[in-house]
Amino acid sequence: MVKVKFNYTIGNISLRQLTYRKRQTILTISGISLGVMVLISAISLMDGLLQSFIDKIVNIAPHIVISGEKIKTTVKDTLYQASGKTYINFIKNVERKDEEIIKNYSRVIYLIQKEKTVNVIAPVVSVNLIAKFGTLSQPLELLGISPELHDKIVKFSDNMISGKFSELERTPDGLIIGTTSASDLSVKMGDKLQIVSNSGGVVTVRIIGVFSTGINDIDNNAYVNLRLAQNLAGYSSDELTNLYLRVTDLSKDAAVARSIEKMINYHAKTWEETAASVISLYKMISVMVYFLVFFVILVAGFGVANVLITNVLEKYRDIAILKSLGFQRNEITWIYLIQGLFVAIIGAVLGCLLALVMIKVLGTIKITPSKTGSIRSDRLQMGMSIWYFIFASSFAIIISLVASIGPSRGASKLNPVEILRGER
Amino acid sequence: MQKPIIRLEHVCKTLISKSNEGIIENTILPDLSFNIEQGEFTAITGPSGSGKTTLLYLMGGLDKPSSGKIFLNDWEISQMNEDELAVIRNDKLGFVYQFHFLLPEFSALENVMIPMLARGKFGQKQAKERAKALLSQVGLYEKLSSKPNQLSGGQQQRVAIARSLANEPVVLLADEPTGNLDSHNSALIYDLFKRLNEENGQSIIIVTHDEHFASKTDRILHLLDGRIDKDQVLHN
Repeated sequence: MVKVKFNYTIGNISLRQLTYRKRQTILTISGISLGVMVLISAISLMDGLLQSFIDKIVNIAPHIVISGEKIKTTVKDTLYQASGKTYINFIKNVERKDEEIIKNYSRVIYLIQKEKTVNVIAPVVSVNLIAKFGTLSQPLELLGISPELHDKIVKFSDNMISGKFSELERTPDGLIIGTTSASDLSVKMGDKLQIVSNSGGVVTVRIIGVFSTGINDIDNNAYVNLRLAQNLAGYSSDELTNLYLRVTDLSKDAAVARSIEKMINYHAKTWEETAASVISLYKMISVMVYFLVFFVILVAGFGVANVLITNVLEKYRDIAILKSLGFQRNEITWIYLIQGLFVAIIGAVLGCLLALVMIKVLGTIKITPSKTGSIRSDRLQMGMSIWYFIFASSFAIIISLVASIGPSRGASKLNPVEILRGER
Repeated sequence: MQKPIIRLEHVCKTLISKSNEGIIENTILPDLSFNIEQGEFTAITGPSGSGKTTLLYLMGGLDKPSSGKIFLNDWEISQMNEDELAVIRNDKLGFVYQFHFLLPEFSALENVMIPMLARGKFGQKQAKERAKALLSQVGLYEKLSSKPNQLSGGQQQRVAIARSLANEPVVLLADEPTGNLDSHNSALIYDLFKRLNEENGQSIIIVTHDEHFASKTDRILHLLDGRIDKDQVLHN
């Protein structure tokens, strides 16, 4: 005899009550749609920022960088016990701090080549020197590279604003400078710079190209021929500071790096490890932003609860009469749950549409690129994924549904006799 | 002899309320037993606080007795749970209250249709036809699409009566149906009840303290402190 019947009449009563109070309903729907819109836009913004950063890093950073830093087995404790006896470890107090150089690099390359997933191995000499132009002098990080190999590592020729990257091969005194350094030194194509070498000598180089990657750390640098860098740094021709690697499968770069470390005993860092601090900063900011936006939706949820509570309070008599006409408890609950759901779904759909517009608009906003940030971009990078919408909508709907349960159940529990007699 | 449509056996109703001085038990109906016959037009009268409204709600399955049994036809409604009572109220009973209690968002026609559609006793089309017929029976054929706030008090009460008849109730229960109306409209409502009783054989129980109104019914049950003080059969 007892059936939970959901029928047309219940839906009809539910929506009629809702549309009877147009202004309040519209306000609540706006609240939810704004919450959903802000959430989606925030996710898109944060995701887009992180994604564009990662994209740029992946484009411009080598997959794995090998540095001259030796892997040392560290002794955890100077006192240790073994087979019942206590031993004391002595570490030589005065230890010569080795320069972090990869020596005899052709042998190292030979070893790395055993790792079949490594596609390209490029030698690099990185050295910090003083550059002079006219009366200006400025520290400059010079990277000595082999252009052909380097291009295979990061497709560097795509970043050239003027000049040709491959020219470096044939120009022993050529230098390709990043836009940031170029403007700091106020130099342009064809200018002649003076570089003070480690040994104190001065070498004159010619600017044969200008590049821009959008990442300030890299645009601060300048590229020269490998041989020139070795000379300036005072290295012999088989000494390097770094080796850049490109692997076939980027997702397995960490495993490759670890196995190379074992083979050659030099530190190997993947691009994620190199950029880890920046990426984790982005992720932390994202979490904070999401947290704030969650509260926006939570507040919208209170709006839903508010609409339902006022609807229930103002409808005491109607609820009593519906009960006396033979509506069961569950059906009364449904009348108000439907109102909550309806408001939430309409709000979520509108919010998604608004968010689409918002993402488009935000994506076109011009921003002045900052010189100090880690990446430069002339507009906001917005991410886009169906999951933003699914996530934000379901979050809003769940919050609204939770907010609806209390008032709906409250309505179903009202005692019609008290109300019909005018006791409430 | 016909079976009674409503039968009360030693019905007792005690209200328990909590106050500062502790729990107060207030016995409204100590021990009531009587029958209501098919086709009877009964008035329950008595001073306020005599328990007449409580009695009506008990007979209407809106409230449950503290002890004793209430039968509607053969169903023991005093034993039923809330949801079963809801089905009985929808299918077997019609209610008219002092205030009309129409749903403000719905037209007169829709208000009359709702009880028919609530439990699916009638289909949409059938319900509409029935509602039209009922509204013309109460003289409101012109007002089908009017919202309650566009109707006068008397008209609203007539819509409520049409609604109470929606599912062909076994008995129509009315609680001070003219309590809020002027004498002209009261007379109209009274005539309507009388006509329903005489022409359709509709059983009706009315709670009223309008002596004039009560005197025109078939039977007056006069309550005093929850007991039957007088049980007068007026017409037969």
